[in-house]
Amino acid sequence: MKTAVTIPKNRNRRSLSKTDRLTLTTFIGIPTLLQIILLWVPAVVTIILSFTYWNGIRLKDVQWAGIQNYKNILFNNPLFYQALKNNGIWLLFFIVIATPLGILLAYQIDRGIKGHAFYESIYYLPVVLSLAVIGIIWNFMLQPGGFVQGLMGRDIGNAISIWGNPKINTWVILGIASWRHIGYIMLLYLSGLKSVDPALKEAAAIDGATDWQIFRKIILPTMQPVNIIIVVITLIESLRAFDLVYIIYGSPTIFPLLNLLVFQNFAGQGISMKGAAYAVILLLLCIVPIITYLRISFKEDLK
Amino acid sequence: MSEEKNVLSRRSVIKGAAVGGAALAAGSTLSAGSADAATKVKGSTVKWTTRGGGATGDAIAKAVNDAFTKKTGAKVVAQQVNSDDFQNNFAQIMQGSPDDAFGWMAGYRSNHFGEMGLLADLTREIGHLKTNLPAAAIKGSTSPVSKKPYILPTTYYPWGLHYRKSMVKDIGMNPEKIGNWDDFVKLMTLTQKKGLVGYSLGAKGGWEAMGTFDILNARINGYKYHIDLLNGRAKWTDARTKETFKYFAQLIPFMNANVMDISWDGMRDLLLQKKTGAMMMGSWFANDFKAKSQADYDDLWVVPFPEINPKFGVDTIDAPLDGISVAANGKNISGGKALAEFWASPEGIAAAVKAGDTNIYVSKSFDTSGYDAFNKQKLAVLAAASNIMFFLDRDARGDFAGPVVGPAIQNFIKNPADINKILENVQAQWDALPKQ
Repeated sequence: MKTAVTIPKNRNRRSLSKTDRLTLTTFIGIPTLLQIILLWVPAVVTIILSFTYWNGIRLKDVQWAGIQNYKNILFNNPLFYQALKNNGIWLLFFIVIATPLGILLAYQIDRGIKGHAFYESIYYLPVVLSLAVIGIIWNFMLQPGGFVQGLMGRDIGNAISIWGNPKINTWVILGIASWRHIGYIMLLYLSGLKSVDPALKEAAAIDGATDWQIFRKIILPTMQPVNIIIVVITLIESLRAFDLVYIIYGSPTIFPLLNLLVFQNFAGQGISMKGAAYAVILLLLCIVPIITYLRISFKEDLK
Repeated sequence: MSEEKNVLSRRSVIKGAAVGGAALAAGSTLSAGSADAATKVKGSTVKWTTRGGGATGDAIAKAVNDAFTKKTGAKVVAQQVNSDDFQNNFAQIMQGSPDDAFGWMAGYRSNHFGEMGLLADLTREIGHLKTNLPAAAIKGSTSPVSKKPYILPTTYYPWGLHYRKSMVKDIGMNPEKIGNWDDFVKLMTLTQKKGLVGYSLGAKGGWEAMGTFDILNARINGYKYHIDLLNGRAKWTDARTKETFKYFAQLIPFMNANVMDISWDGMRDLLLQKKTGAMMMGSWFANDFKAKSQADYDDLWVVPFPEINPKFGVDTIDAPLDGISVAANGKNISGGKALAEFWASPEGIAAAVKAGDTNIYVSKSFDTSGYDAFNKQKLAVLAAASNIMFFLDRDARGDFAGPVVGPAIQNFIKNPADINKILENVQAQWDALPKQ
């Protein structure tokens, strides 16, 4: 028993020379320290602040509020539920439509369909633009007095209401967000597909598998690491959505999103620690599904 | 200036004689201090921020700052910032390394930050300007909590009902006589019959429609009720508040279909392109009419929002007061105070007007004799009111106006039938605010 424990210990020690240890300390220590200072400390401070009243200026004005901020958000603020709904639709849309479309495109392009290089660059193009720039472009086209409205012969007096129309604005915004998201997913998946051994596919084809069977039984399982990344990215992108909508509206309340409410109540003139409470709610909404998903996937891997 | 100094030293001498040597010493340090300030300002660099205004804003800032340099020998470094960004990041900017002096807004926005120690106390400067300032402007610049002014008042503008005279004539009405609610409704109805927008409104930014709410509430329930409501002394769920929204709901059928899609500039364009009968807005946009053509500018008119409740007539107006504030954390506070005082002084105003500033100054030195018809009408609209509101987001606390009232009005315009529920939410959110 004793020896069994000491032997691996010795082996460990032997493999770590002085330089190794120094390198390890530098490469793990410094990022960890930065992570703690820049991410975990502010996160913990935010959580604490979410239980206070404060206008963000003088520390001595901080007052204990208990769960008042959360109560106010959950029971008195219709904006919260509108935001939750919008983020929820965003997430569903990405999971059901945008992400699968990206995967499908990647698969088709990887198969080398005619003109694949052309399609690849077309779909990838929006990815190089930031969502803020994309917001400026589409706002310029669709707002009253904008380019597309002008093409349809509509001036500001009879412009079609797009951003302010709750029946269509969700879908227009999701369309624009997907415009970029699809290309992003496509690129990620494509890089994964390139590493799948073509011999596997050939073997399956020889055994008489159809295209769909090959995709489902061969490619999807071998792509497991990429799949995890894609699911996590889809989750995060939908829940943290902010810049596109903020640029289009300039205000956070016509198309509320959780992040917009964090911003509105945590910065600027409207600052109160309700913003911190929104941030904590958003953090929980992001972390819980992601951790659950990762645990399930890694458990499967271990099996 | 020299006379002012004499008064000061005479006063300190009297004080000194009365209280004794110690007070005399204090008095002499005081005057030495102000002399010091003058030499400190000379040769120093003062930083100035212009809040928006484009090329005209820069030209005005340059004219005033150059005149200041000529007078005091201090150098001024000016920059123009995006007005909304500056406003949204104000607390952060003021806690960092802010410019020494800048154009800012009176009301809650200066009082609150002054009380928090971010804006310099301008009691001495407002004292210098006192002879030229109306009492109401001084009162409006002074915090009711700390009793100190954190802003030197310069300009203000009326929120009124704007329309084009030619369009009102076209529908057979007299443009000089949009005085009561019936005229107003008739104007909207007839314009709408021509296929145009009766009453244009934007709410994209979340604040534009507050102007309509302010004036309706003041017309129906009076100034006192409105200010009480914004400060928690009256209830949003009160029948009187609901009455205001009843009138507001009457306007909705006359509005453009894209209220949530446009902001104030969209409202302006609707009027500029002759697509709307009337709109409630601050007169600041008149410069844009002038920029388009003199004919458009001559056609523009403004009247007080019509009377609804004869008890209150048209006794109240939204007339936001602007001015100059000095950052408490600036590098050159004495320079900033000197520059702020110069901007609000008759000399500074003269330089700004010469450079093309069309704003109305509160200063008694401000000469309105050369005013055109529209500007004279703006003065008349201001003069008609005896109670001045500063606009909802300056009359109410920041964590309430923007995050609560703005979206509530947006929701109301989208779903007017939900008003009771909306007002209950607003009241609940007011009740949840920490005391200040």
